[in-house]
Parts: sequence; C-alpha cells; structure tokens
Amino acid sequence: MSANEPLVLALPKGRILKEMSPLLDHVGIKPEDAFFDPNARQLQFATNDPGLSIIRVRSFDTATFLAFGAAHLAVSGSDVLMEFDHPEIYAPVDLGIGKCRLVVAAPAELAEREDPRRWSHLRVATKYPNLTRRHFAARGVQAECIKLNGAMELAPRLGLCRRIVDLTETGSTMVANGLVEVEHILDVSSRLAVNRAALKTRPEPVNDLVERFREAARAA
Amino acid sequence: MSPIDNDTDLARRGLLPAGLRDVLPLDAAHEATVIEALITTFSAEGYDRVKPPLVEFESSLFAGPGAAMRESTFRLMDPMSQRMMGVRADVTVQIARIAATRLKDAPRPLRLCYAGEVLRVMAGQLNPERQLEQVGAELVGPNSIEADVEAILLAVEALRSAGAEHLSVDITAPRLVPELLAVHELDGSAGAALRAAIDRKELAEVRALGGDAAATLNLLMDAAGARERGIEKLSGVILPGDARTALDRLIEVSGRIAEAEPGLNVTIDPVENRGFEYYTGIGFSLFSRGVRGELGRGGRYVVDGTGGEGSVGFTLYMETVLRALPDPCLGERLYLPYGTPRHIGSSHREQGWVTVAGLIGETDIDGEARRLGCSHVLDGPDLRALDNN
Repeated sequence: MSANEPLVLALPKGRILKEMSPLLDHVGIKPEDAFFDPNARQLQFATNDPGLSIIRVRSFDTATFLAFGAAHLAVSGSDVLMEFDHPEIYAPVDLGIGKCRLVVAAPAELAEREDPRRWSHLRVATKYPNLTRRHFAARGVQAECIKLNGAMELAPRLGLCRRIVDLTETGSTMVANGLVEVEHILDVSSRLAVNRAALKTRPEPVNDLVERFREAARAA
Repeated sequence: MSPIDNDTDLARRGLLPAGLRDVLPLDAAHEATVIEALITTFSAEGYDRVKPPLVEFESSLFAGPGAAMRESTFRLMDPMSQRMMGVRADVTVQIARIAATRLKDAPRPLRLCYAGEVLRVMAGQLNPERQLEQVGAELVGPNSIEADVEAILLAVEALRSAGAEHLSVDITAPRLVPELLAVHELDGSAGAALRAAIDRKELAEVRALGGDAAATLNLLMDAAGARERGIEKLSGVILPGDARTALDRLIEVSGRIAEAEPGLNVTIDPVENRGFEYYTGIGFSLFSRGVRGELGRGGRYVVDGTGGEGSVGFTLYMETVLRALPDPCLGERLYLPYGTPRHIGSSHREQGWVTVAGLIGETDIDGEARRLGCSHVLDGPDLRALDNN
C-alpha cells in the first residue's frame, strides 16, 4: 500500500448492505453503479470521492481487513469487532443499523428442565468462539466451542451439541427450529470502525469521514 | 532410505517452530545496516550502547514495568541456582534494571541505547514473529519537558536516518484517563467496561457508562487526531488536578515537537491507554503512512516501578521498521576469474568493491560471473560490466 492511495472503506455483504444505502446517501458517498448489482464480480468500487474507494467483503472479514490496514475504515458489526477485540481497531460511531442480539439458545425441552446456574462444562456450536468462551469463563463455566460458519440452528436438532450461541433479530428462525433463548450475551449493532494507524497517519480525511458518519447516524 | 523419503526428511528439517524464521542473504545484511544506522544516530547524541543478557531471573525481569511482560515470557529453570529464569520479552525493563542497579551512581541524565532480540510466547495479532529485534534508547533522570522532547525527536531522527518516510508521531497522556476515572470513582473492576469502551473509542458506550465523566470523556475522545484540531477541541475542557497536569504536558510536548519538526505529522490522543498502562508520563507511537502497525513506541515511566527515578525512552520494532523501508537490492560485485592473484583482489576491495573469486577454472567466465550474481568481471587489468541478461 503506498502512502497516497485513496482511503478504503470495507462494507459487509448481505443484509446490512441494504440498510447502509440511505446512510451512505446521507454521508454523501456515491459508489459506482456496479456496487449495487449483486451479480457483479467486481470487489472494489470507486466512489464520487476520488480519495475514497469501497470494498465489499464478508461481514467477518471486515475486521480482518481493517486490523491489517488493508482497509482504513469499515462498517462492522459490534459482534465481529468484539469477537476479534483487536487493539488496532477503534469503533467511534454506532450507526444504529443491523441491530440484533447475541444469545445462548437451547432446545425448548432442555431449557425447561435445567438450571443454567448449575452449568460447569458445555459444548456449544457457534460462529463466535472467543466471545462464547469469554462469556462463559466470566461465570466460571468451561465452554468447549465447535466453530460453525452457518446453519447453527441445525446443530442441536442433529445432535452435534445441545446449545448454540448465535445472533437473532426476531427469534423466528430459532423458534422454527425448536430453540429458545436461554441467555442474552450482548446487543449488537453496526459500527463505523477505523484502523488505528490510519487515524494517526491520515487524521484529517479519516476524522472528516467519522464526523460525517456520526452526523448521518444521528439524523437517521 | 528411498530418495523420496530423504527429500521429505530434508524439507521437514526446514520447518521451524511457529513465529521463528531464517533471515536470508540481502535481508540479513539489510537488517544489520538499518540497526547500525539507528544506533549511529543514538550514539551521535551521546547515548551509550549497553548489552543486557538474553536470559535473566524472572524476579528481575518482571519487576516494575516488566510485569506487563509476564504472560509473554518463555521460562526455563536454571539448574545451577535452581531458580526460574525468563528469556527476555522486552529489553526496556533490562535497561531500567541496569540504570537502577549497576549504573545507579553514574551521572544523570544517563543516556543509554541498545539493540537486541527478544522472544515472545505468543505472536502479536499483526505480526506472526515470536522472535523480534528491538532497537531503542532511554534517557534516565530528569523528569522534564526537554527530556520528553529529546526522546521523541531522537526516535524520529533515527528513523529518518534509516530511510523511513512519511513519518507520523502520536502523542498521548496515558495517566489522564486513569486519573479522571479515579476522581469520579469509576476506576477498579466496576470501570472495566468503561475502560474497554474508551480504548475502542466507542463514543456511544462511553456516554452510557461514563456517568458524570461522560461529557468530559467524549470531548477528550473527540480530540484524537491532528494536533491543531485536537487542541482547539480541548480548549474548554475542565479536568481535575492530576488529569489536567497530564493533559498540559501532552499539549506542551506536542507543541514543541511540531515547532521543531514542521514537516512531521503530529497527532495527539488524550485517551489512548492500551499498551501504555505502565507509563507515568507522556506516551508516544511512531507510524509511517501506508505501513501497518507501529514503527515503535515509547514514553515516560518509573525505573523501579515504585515512585523512584523516571526515564523516558522508546523501542523501535525492526519488523515494522523494515516494512517501512524499500526492499534491499543486490549491490555491484566483481568476479575475479580463477587464478587471479590475491593482491589484485585486495587492491579492488580497497577501492570498495565486493569481490567473488572463482575457485575452479571456468570455460565461460561471463556465464560463471552471472551465475554467482556478479555485475562486473575482471578482464585482464580492466573491469568490465556485464549485460543484465
């Protein structure tokens, strides 16, 4: 990466991207047309600002691109940021979008007959092994995590393990799979996150974008 | 053993433990040259080089500011003394020990510098290396603004002398937030979530958790960035005693740096504390635009960790410094064909040539010279440049 290249903003693919669009409008960032075409193979996009380009990556990868300085700014879920808890990342703006919860869930009949206060060792399927381990460790429970990348709700039904830690927005997917929420771990929303070195070495353009996003989040 | 087994066996021998590596030609010499340039700059300003050992008793390694390195340190048992030793994970703490013990009576200010390797149990998140080269300097004694300024400018000058460009220095006040939180009784374990939110610059969380201090904290967080803008934002901030002192020192020191180095990008960050927990005065980090991670960091701390003598200094991380510099390239080399008398080679070496002598009679001198990476051949009494193909 050379010293004067445009700033790179990483945006997560999928659900959040739709919610992002009015926010980007408000900030005044207009990506090139291909950005809104879900079938485009292009991964990096120019914007109306020659000093800013956008990349579209998987939501978990936003934090990684950002931590390594491959992106200077990112829209990233607080779940992802906390999972990696990277000292090279700041998260100065709560964008108020992509709201959901990270919860522990178990099959309804299991939840009914057990007392979570008596847990000592659990096997949990999750996309968030670090957050899960930290959550249970804080209450003295040993959690053995099975890392899955999707379809978490299947795990208890097929006997992979009995509990999962996953995101839920309305809870309907969980209910449809016979699961109930047993414990709440954290409330999640999307953040504008910034690479530490980028803020220190290019403070003016980075702070300018942070302020514009903050303004847009407040207005939304 | 079949030849295939032998090949696999050989390949496996090249496999090193995670985070350790062989540094090969060009890179190894390049690293040595850069370290030399850094140390030369330190020496020229009166910093004397010291060389602490690789391994020490853990009791001395973890004293005072060394406690932060406890989890990163490899331990081994000393069969002679039956005591636990640690392989150093940081050199700064050793320099502090030297200053507090052996050089206790040496005149102050005491200026020391060092270059040495450290070993860490876990690699950092940005760098896979577990064996790292640290180069640094310490100014022990005076707790003055002048000393803070000297340390920062020395670091900048040393990096420049090594060829680093687009440098940026971020100046922090690591004591500010702890002092402020203590006054508002937000310290201790109850304040852990707040501290984490401040470290991540999560404005909304800080507003929710910060109680009476929330408005002040928000103002301080907002000031992170370019110096002039930050100081403008801080003009109205009201802080209790020790927090005020910490901020005033940050403003004063950063002002002096900006004045002394008009071309340098100077930023301030009043709330930065992660990794600066043991500092008692200012803290600073060095960056180069476009390079991931810090080139180095430093600050003011207390040498024995208990309120004794102070020191201000910094450590440069060679793995990042080298990333900020252009890759090394092979210099010019002169091929001396087989049978060239030794004194002829010597006379060329005296003129600064690197020579490579042929050890067996060549059929194709130019081809052999190229094969060995030479740019020139000795052709009778003359030097002849080789084509690049």
